[in-house]
Amino acid sequence: MSSMAIEATDLCVERGQARVLSDVTFSVAKGDVFALLGGNGAGKSTTLLTFLGFLAPASGEAKVLGQDVQADKKFVHQQSAYLPEAANLYPHLTARENLDYFLALAGVSQTPEDIEAALDHVSLREDARGQRLETYSKGMRQKVAIALAILRKAPILFLDEPTSGLDPVAIDEFNALISKLAESGTTVLMVTHDVYGACQVARRVGLLRRGQLVGLFEAPEGGRISPDEVHQAFAKEHQQ
Amino acid sequence: MLSLKNELWLALRDRMVQATLAVAFILSTLSVIAGFAAVSEQQTLIEELERVVTEDRDYVLTQQSDAGGAAYYSYHFTYDEPSALAFAAQGVRSELPWKHRIRMLAVEGQIYEADTGNPELALAGQLDFTFVAAVLVPIFLIVLLHDLRASESRGRRLELLLATAQTSGLFRWRTTLRASLLFVAIVLPFLVGALIAGSPAGPTLAIVAVVAFNVSFWGLLCHFVASRLSSGPTVAATVLGAWFVLALVVPTGGKLLVESTVSVPDGGDILLTQREAVNDAWDLPKQATMEPFLERYPEWSPYAEVERPFEWKWYYAFQQVGDQTVEPLSQSLRAGVAKRDARMASVAFLSPTLLTERIATAAASTDVSAYQRYEACVRAFHAELRAFHYPMLFGVEPYSSEAMEALPKYRPCTGGDSNDG
Amino acid sequence: MKPALIIAAGEWRFWLRSKLGVAALILGFVLITTSLVANSARVGAERASRDSLQTAAEETFRNQPDRHPHRMVHYGHYVFRAPAPLAVVDPGVDPYTGTVMFLEGHHQNSATFAPAFSGARAGALARLTPAMAYQLLVPLVLIVIGFASMAREREGGTDRQLLTAGVAPHDIWLGKVIALLGVSAALLFPLVLAASQALFAGESFVVTTTFIVGYAVYLTVWALMIAAVSTSTRQLSTSLMALMVLWLALCLMVPPVVASFARMASPMPSKIEADLEVAVALREQGDGHNANDPAFNRLRANLLEQYGVHHVEDLPINFRGVVAEAAEADLTDTMNTFAEKKLAGEVAQARVQHWLSLLSPQLAVRHFSMTLASTDLAQHHRFTREAEAARFSFVQGLNRVHAEQMTYTDDINRSRDKGAEQRTRVSAENWRVLDEFRFAPAPASDRLAGSSLFLLVLLLWAAGFAALGRARALALTEAAHA
Repeated sequence: MSSMAIEATDLCVERGQARVLSDVTFSVAKGDVFALLGGNGAGKSTTLLTFLGFLAPASGEAKVLGQDVQADKKFVHQQSAYLPEAANLYPHLTARENLDYFLALAGVSQTPEDIEAALDHVSLREDARGQRLETYSKGMRQKVAIALAILRKAPILFLDEPTSGLDPVAIDEFNALISKLAESGTTVLMVTHDVYGACQVARRVGLLRRGQLVGLFEAPEGGRISPDEVHQAFAKEHQQ
Repeated sequence: MLSLKNELWLALRDRMVQATLAVAFILSTLSVIAGFAAVSEQQTLIEELERVVTEDRDYVLTQQSDAGGAAYYSYHFTYDEPSALAFAAQGVRSELPWKHRIRMLAVEGQIYEADTGNPELALAGQLDFTFVAAVLVPIFLIVLLHDLRASESRGRRLELLLATAQTSGLFRWRTTLRASLLFVAIVLPFLVGALIAGSPAGPTLAIVAVVAFNVSFWGLLCHFVASRLSSGPTVAATVLGAWFVLALVVPTGGKLLVESTVSVPDGGDILLTQREAVNDAWDLPKQATMEPFLERYPEWSPYAEVERPFEWKWYYAFQQVGDQTVEPLSQSLRAGVAKRDARMASVAFLSPTLLTERIATAAASTDVSAYQRYEACVRAFHAELRAFHYPMLFGVEPYSSEAMEALPKYRPCTGGDSNDG
Repeated sequence: MKPALIIAAGEWRFWLRSKLGVAALILGFVLITTSLVANSARVGAERASRDSLQTAAEETFRNQPDRHPHRMVHYGHYVFRAPAPLAVVDPGVDPYTGTVMFLEGHHQNSATFAPAFSGARAGALARLTPAMAYQLLVPLVLIVIGFASMAREREGGTDRQLLTAGVAPHDIWLGKVIALLGVSAALLFPLVLAASQALFAGESFVVTTTFIVGYAVYLTVWALMIAAVSTSTRQLSTSLMALMVLWLALCLMVPPVVASFARMASPMPSKIEADLEVAVALREQGDGHNANDPAFNRLRANLLEQYGVHHVEDLPINFRGVVAEAAEADLTDTMNTFAEKKLAGEVAQARVQHWLSLLSPQLAVRHFSMTLASTDLAQHHRFTREAEAARFSFVQGLNRVHAEQMTYTDDINRSRDKGAEQRTRVSAENWRVLDEFRFAPAPASDRLAGSSLFLLVLLLWAAGFAALGRARALALTEAAHA
């Protein structure tokens, strides 16, 4: 078995007649955070959806924990947690009820204490936990969704534009949370257009443009990727 | 400023609006065509029956040698002609009789005879213009209007729109426009039909007005609900609930209430009593029949002596006495039906759907009172028949086949007049 | 717990929390209960009154004084049709057919006085029987409750969350279906109560159970239809509109269109035309009141030969009675030919409609329900035929008395001779020829056989929507990105 948690090999994806990903190759080691950066329509979400099994590649391979996604979607869904841009949980349920519900569906048994611990972990205000999600801010809903990922003990986490629409404090909190998860061994693949946020948490950053991987940055040992460098590359790609 | 042209263009470009208006227009057209087919079928039937019943009577009369037999065997066709607007509202004509074959026997034994055809088909109801205009209009409006505000809100244009439009009445205006389009789509086929049928202006306008009322009511309701609830489906489901209550629960509840508060005699009782009276007469002394008869028709007293065990004048007297015996029951049945109908008229003020149906059937003369007018017309004709036959039966005038040429002819009653005159 | 059951439980919780679901459910229950209470009170009263009217009619007939038997032939008799036990739920065609029939010699009267005659007119939709409530309104309630089931997940994006939580798409769909079936089961509860009431009133157990099962299948069709449409639409609004249009088409538009089609495809003459046709045919036959009618010459010759006498006066039986009997038999033959033609015409129209019930589950369940409840056209025809058999039997019984219990001479002289008149009055004992008439529903086996085809149609609809819904759900994995 490969030591890579997530692997894309010559990945090509078509939607309708258009080729939206072509020959994308990258991999993410276990416990790493990988950020895919790109403008609108670069193919970021397509990549995520392919790894989730919602889109089938025209050619090439997408593997999760060594397993081809198309061959066993169920395995992928069991091993991973997905956090869409607008954290999609039920507005008519409270944080606790949402977690209860989805955990039951995922077949994970967790005690109420575990749930409280997870909500502590994502630092959701205690007084809010019994209120319905329809009263929550976006950041709070995001926290519940992450708590769900934690509780499911999913070794892999897929994040789609996790920080868009969050206030600066919430973004900081969120990034700290992701780092904490990575330290405990979770592999994270996030797509975003927030260069600074990505550099803050990711050990490696890939740059997508029109479906092609055009740049790859890696943090030096013990350090971080320089956002300026990535930003320049991003801007340059966009001028073309 | 809001421009009619822009808003019209906007509305007509909406696929949902196009589809709804098309469906409404097609259904309305089909219902008018179906109505015309039904009316022309009724007219053909009337002509045909008029012909065959007359032919048969002419033949039968040649075989008769006395006044009694002539009265016994000659049938008359009576009918209530469909009005020039009957194509738009079938009303009670599918349930209550509008044609009878009548002879001089007890009228109570003949007038409840119904020809409703196959009961399993009657159960399905009918699809006429009134159904489209009264029952389906709210559904069309729900489809047209439920998402008007919510879709703008979903598309995050609501605030922009309200800020740009510089008027508070944007949605009121759009609602009015779409409701008007629906009104036109529904009323146009009806107006064409009315023009072809040569319907009188007054009742035609009454139907147009009540359709306008129905469209306005439900349009306003949709607007009111939509301005208070933010999600399109909730608006739709809420108005649908209102439709459920106003089109269904209120009329049905009203019907139950009216039927339980206004009792009518059992039809079976009327028949039983009438038959018994007629049958018993055979065994009773002749006097027991002739007395009540002469009380009603004293003019025949000088000729009323019954000498033989069977005489026609006695036979027809006990037919008439049979009618007289059930008169209280029969009158209270008619009064009860009329009263129930009057009460339903009050109930209709609580249900725009029922109100629309009632006004349309009234305009088309296919309501309960039109039926009662026809029934009264048949009774009057029956009286006319008796008045014609009595002189010959009582021997005041001689019977001859030439005399039978003056047999009264049934003429359908319109409005107030009847066959008395 | 199975994922589908968790989804179903989640759906229930959603309905209980959304005011719309609760309001629709309450409205549904109120409607069903009201219609049941109102209808069972009415049917109960009708059953009671028709039984007592029937008994009264029979007593009146038997208590007639001694008289000439032919007088009793004209005196006649009434038969009443009591509603079947399951008419409590589905009165079927009862409101449109007459419920009383007058039986007399020489005539076949039609049933008169349909209850609809004097009813208050409340418009097109006010036929609120429990059967109508279940066939038309409960589907609407289910739509309002269920249109959001999948569309809500798709509009809110929670479908992806469910899928990535490892729930199989068909489990999501199955869960939604189970949840809707739960609502249907709850709404069926009053029907079960009403049907058990019919069971106590003497309805067969198998019929009652099948009746409930049929309605359960019908509501299942709607649950599956709602789930399929909701799964196929991406927006709540589209889902609700599509379902409303389907309801409108299947429940309000198809039935009258199909009825009109049946009328056109298999036209029938009006009653007046048919009556006239019979009258003309009968004119050709002899008048049974007149023993000298040449039509009976052959009968006379045969009898004289049989008894070896030369004059009808010498016959040991009354020739007039024999003529009356023979004439009634001939007449009845002719009338039955026309009556059967009419019934066959109605059956042909009904058959068109039965076949077209493939077009709408509402039509299928309507025929299923009426057939099983014994309130359909077939039972109306059975009533007509049984009443005719009763008529023929008592009239011929009286004609036999007429032939056997008096002499020909007395009979022809009775209007001139007081003594003869007395001797032709027969004892009231003879009025016992009248059989008791009690109209009972068709045998359970007939009704089960007759309704099974409609049940099959319903099962086909259910299978179709199940397949569609499941296929659309499986496509969710592919469609979720859009």
